[in-house]
Amino acid sequence: MAKAYRLIFDENLCIGCQACNVACRLENDVPEEVYRLQVHVTTHGVFPHLGMHFERRSCVMCDEPPCVSVCPTGASFQSKDGLVHIHESQCITCKYCILACPYHARFINPVKNVVEKCTFCFESRLSKALDPACVSVCTTEALRFGDMDQEDSAVAMLSRKETVLFPKAHLGTKPKVCFIPARKGAKV
Amino acid sequence: MQGSLRALEPSVLKGEDKWVRSVCEMCSSRCAIDVRVVDGKPVWLQGNAFDARMHTSICARGLSGVSQLYDKDRLTTPLIRVGQRGENRWREASLDEALSFVASSMQRLKKTYGAQSMLFSSKTGESFDLLSSFASNYGSPNTFSHWSSCPIAIESALEQTFGERAYRDFEHADYIVNFGHNLFEGLDIPLSKAMARFAANPSKKLIVLDPRFSMMAGKADEWYPIRAGQDLAFVLSLLHVWLRDAKYDHAFVQRYCIGLDALKASLKETTPQWQERYTGIDARTIERLADEIYRAAPRCILDWGHKATTSPAEFQRTRAILIANVLMGNVEKKGGIYFAKTPEMLNELLQKPLFPLLQSPYPAPNVGISRIDGAGEEGSAYRFVPKKHGVLNSIADAILTQQPYAIKGWFLTRHNPLVTVADPQKMRAAMATLELIVVNDIYMSDTAMMADVVLPEATYLERDEGIHVHQGLIPSYTMRNRALMPLRGTQSLRETVRRLADALGFGDAYPWKTIQELRAYQAKGDSALLESLVKRGYVQATIPPLFLREEASVRAFCERYAHVDLMRVSEMFERRRKTPSGKIELFCAHIEEAFAGYGVPCAVDMDVQHNYPYTLISGKSAIHTNAHTQNVPYLHALMSENPLWMHPSTAKAHGLRPNDTCYIENEIGKEKVKVFITEGIRPDTLFLYMGFGRQTPLLPKIDRKGSSASKLLSLQTAPVCGAMITNTGVRIVRA
Amino acid sequence: MSPMWGSTAQYEVIHWSWAIAIYLFLAGISAGSIIVALLVKWNRHERSNSSIWDAMIKSGTLVAPVSILAGLFLLVADLGRPLSFYWLLIRFNPLSVMSLGVLFLLIYTPIVLVFTLLVFERTIVKYAWLSPLGSFVEWVKSLHSYAKTIEYFLMGAALCVGSYTGFLLSALYAIPLWNSPVLPIVFLTSSISSGIAVNILIGLVFFKSTINTESIKYLLVLDLRVIMTELPLLGIFFVGLFYGGGEVSSMAKAALSHGGLALIFWLGVIGIGLLLPLATVILALRSHVYRVGYILTNATAVLLGVLLLRYYIIYAGQIYLG
Repeated sequence: MAKAYRLIFDENLCIGCQACNVACRLENDVPEEVYRLQVHVTTHGVFPHLGMHFERRSCVMCDEPPCVSVCPTGASFQSKDGLVHIHESQCITCKYCILACPYHARFINPVKNVVEKCTFCFESRLSKALDPACVSVCTTEALRFGDMDQEDSAVAMLSRKETVLFPKAHLGTKPKVCFIPARKGAKV
Repeated sequence: MQGSLRALEPSVLKGEDKWVRSVCEMCSSRCAIDVRVVDGKPVWLQGNAFDARMHTSICARGLSGVSQLYDKDRLTTPLIRVGQRGENRWREASLDEALSFVASSMQRLKKTYGAQSMLFSSKTGESFDLLSSFASNYGSPNTFSHWSSCPIAIESALEQTFGERAYRDFEHADYIVNFGHNLFEGLDIPLSKAMARFAANPSKKLIVLDPRFSMMAGKADEWYPIRAGQDLAFVLSLLHVWLRDAKYDHAFVQRYCIGLDALKASLKETTPQWQERYTGIDARTIERLADEIYRAAPRCILDWGHKATTSPAEFQRTRAILIANVLMGNVEKKGGIYFAKTPEMLNELLQKPLFPLLQSPYPAPNVGISRIDGAGEEGSAYRFVPKKHGVLNSIADAILTQQPYAIKGWFLTRHNPLVTVADPQKMRAAMATLELIVVNDIYMSDTAMMADVVLPEATYLERDEGIHVHQGLIPSYTMRNRALMPLRGTQSLRETVRRLADALGFGDAYPWKTIQELRAYQAKGDSALLESLVKRGYVQATIPPLFLREEASVRAFCERYAHVDLMRVSEMFERRRKTPSGKIELFCAHIEEAFAGYGVPCAVDMDVQHNYPYTLISGKSAIHTNAHTQNVPYLHALMSENPLWMHPSTAKAHGLRPNDTCYIENEIGKEKVKVFITEGIRPDTLFLYMGFGRQTPLLPKIDRKGSSASKLLSLQTAPVCGAMITNTGVRIVRA
Repeated sequence: MSPMWGSTAQYEVIHWSWAIAIYLFLAGISAGSIIVALLVKWNRHERSNSSIWDAMIKSGTLVAPVSILAGLFLLVADLGRPLSFYWLLIRFNPLSVMSLGVLFLLIYTPIVLVFTLLVFERTIVKYAWLSPLGSFVEWVKSLHSYAKTIEYFLMGAALCVGSYTGFLLSALYAIPLWNSPVLPIVFLTSSISSGIAVNILIGLVFFKSTINTESIKYLLVLDLRVIMTELPLLGIFFVGLFYGGGEVSSMAKAALSHGGLALIFWLGVIGIGLLLPLATVILALRSHVYRVGYILTNATAVLLGVLLLRYYIIYAGQIYLG
């Protein structure tokens, strides 16, 4: 059954602790030196009027993924559930998709020499109706994950209550990952 | 990667796949965790959801437990020194040989200098309880926990003010004033999560005072870059305003406290205008905040923090903060502060043994000899310092001067004083004069390099331990259960102590031989509890939370338990406190007697900069735990150094650009630093994350990476409580 | 906040490096040289074997297959997993410009090779060591009747190859400096100019010993026309980026003013590739001095400029991401 997955990242709850970063590494056996997920923390403003911002850097699982349309071999493909996967055997590592991704979410796995990215932990978790690793470990429960087609899902309810923004929305990629922007602190 | 799920993929379906409930030890918050073990290898960690406050949350350090477990740099065999101390030459030895070496050396020291010539130190927790009992049975009074480098001021202030520990109900508060208690980097998941929710709640207000724009400051509604060490001035002016305008809980103070007059006298001059020159905070802000806090009372908390080492006024500062809470009348109120409802208390109230009572498996007989630092002893400068915990800063001088008596040995476990204690240069010199140093650790740390014998410890994932009771609103119990057998010949401290105790002739002091016996002894035979602790890892009976002065809470409790008398519950708060006066002491007469002027909070001892142009402050990160985790591969990859934070104007003044190197120095030492320019710090302040700047040639990944703030800290301690002071004056030099 | 989320090196990797820049250059030269060769063939009036026009045709016909084969080799070698390149041949994604490009190349390369054989038919027949190709040559001869059709298809395929490289880059809206509709036009124009230059160069050096003044003058004026097309096009390209709003504008400005890359653009692409030939031509036309040397220098300069343009665009796009 097709799902409308959504992952909500609440910048207000995120404390940049990198638990998600490490959980992803542990769950997916990510090789050294490369990352499927990082949270970048930046300070904006001029002392003493400052603001702290948290940006989740990982695949946003676009509904209209540019990485899929550019792949010459179909190694990068989109499933019926709208998730973007990579057929490792069909990937010729031409790196077109890495360049095409506006979120810089893809990278070359130095061990396998194919392109890799966040998979929402599909194989080990999502396919077993478990939340992705990052969502399950977040120390402040800043990540919510679920199916927007289910009215009572945590993400559906939260989306009705809060303003959610989509990263680089103007590009029309229709990401499944969105965020609740920080309410406090200097923004620029 | 070894130990990863993917590596085991083919065998997962066939092999054993189980969850082990345990307690994390990647930091001292000791969150309840679940460990997934596949074919004998831990592959995944997460919070133990039986602790509802955890759910499945776990932090980056907790998740790196597996990375630490399989770290190739971990110690695997006992090592005995060859060559000079600190020369870093070792030979491998069997556990038998190492332990008999230790035992015979300890016997020799006892015979020659007396058992008191041996020091015993450990991070607070089960290992400290075990080690202290070992020390006591051996005959030495000189046990040291990490308290004097961390929470001792708070423990003392709580003890002296309330007669017991107090806890904070962050969840239900509406207004919190935070004095640099960085729960978003110094993580304690249940507390950090509650604080995160608080900060994200638009109808609540968070005020943060910190010279640095830390993660906590980043979530504040209002952040005040207070000058380092000046928190006391801020609080004294708040207290002044409340007393001036009679805006405090009169009835509560009248009924339950003593010393209001002494307090008033002390606060005469501490006006909002007065504090401006200390803190840099506008007087009008004080007036406004005082008003806001009062209006939010009693659902307000002035958070005294966890690590209290900011200035010599630490004891005064913490006392002032506690008193601020008292004046706001938030004691035993929802959204305020409360005292532990102990198992004994609750069992008595409920007239049923709902909460198991445990007995300590670590008997610690009284040693009739006085300590080297006089902690807890009449007439000493540290008489109000808890006897067991001691003053770490006094060790180096005591050893070097051989006063009050000769110190010749030191047994350390889970402790790295050459990085975490002030003036490591002096400590190193002191340690060089010792005859026996035994270090029990998982890594060849800076301190371990000075040892005669290094014993390889098993990590928490490889250890079975006893039961721990967590006091609070509702007592809970956790137990560490091993996820796998110790790797390659490492073993737990308990097994080491067990064997040493036997060798030293006091093995009988311990009523247990194995962990099973220890647990059974501790639980007084309560096998149901033990079974539950193995299966669930976290045990807590479900009762309504009880805030003794919150009417609704008391009523709800009594409605639940029909046989409990409402009067009885209310009376619980009326009982005599464990303070000399039996009441909450705003003024501590006995402290005043010993240290004139310290009986009540007053404006003293706040200067940390000492005429230097900058104050160096330090703090915790969410990635590393003090000096413990720097080598753990996962964590090392995230953060391998600690550049010095400085304001752009500071950098400009010294012609420094990002990533330049320079030095910071004062009369204690000089340290090379790398520059990090940020708007997030006061122009007169510099900041370093803790735990870097190591001297560990055997850990090349971290050796000489980053900078150690400890090298610039003096051995001065805060009066009354003996706390180390981690803010200090420095100057910047280019070369 | 001081960095504590791990290495960010993976975000700074230049994924398409010099090998791709050279491939784009080679693909451009291949398409350009064959387009020019065909245009000359279709429009020439004299039939003399030793005219510069004939030399240019011969040159284009030789350069085109050699450069495209070299380019294809580079492409496959640059893949992370070269041996898996066969997937490109058995899978097709009509939405992917790269996949379309593979299709065009699969059509273009054989046709250009056939065309080469047609043009050099006499040479093939002359040389004994090529006689094993004898039966093949016979077959080729039989295609004479279809020559015009083959040439039209070739022109079409060459135009596709020449412009697809521009679309390959401009299709990526993630890369501000590439995402311009003008880029394919810039690339096509520059590839035709490189075609002219290489045909002149190879033609003069390998296929023609003499050239008359009129022809020189004509070629110099041709150079002028091409440069006067390219310069405004580059101008339009960058002005378009400046008005692209937000990041695009600031990235374009930075790419034109920072460091070594900006130097490569101004000194290499504009200076050597366009202004130097321009100055030479104007000087020559003014003083009526028509030397072969000028033409050869200009051609080399133009070729260098085209290569550097590809290099600059490839690197600048991946560095100035915003």
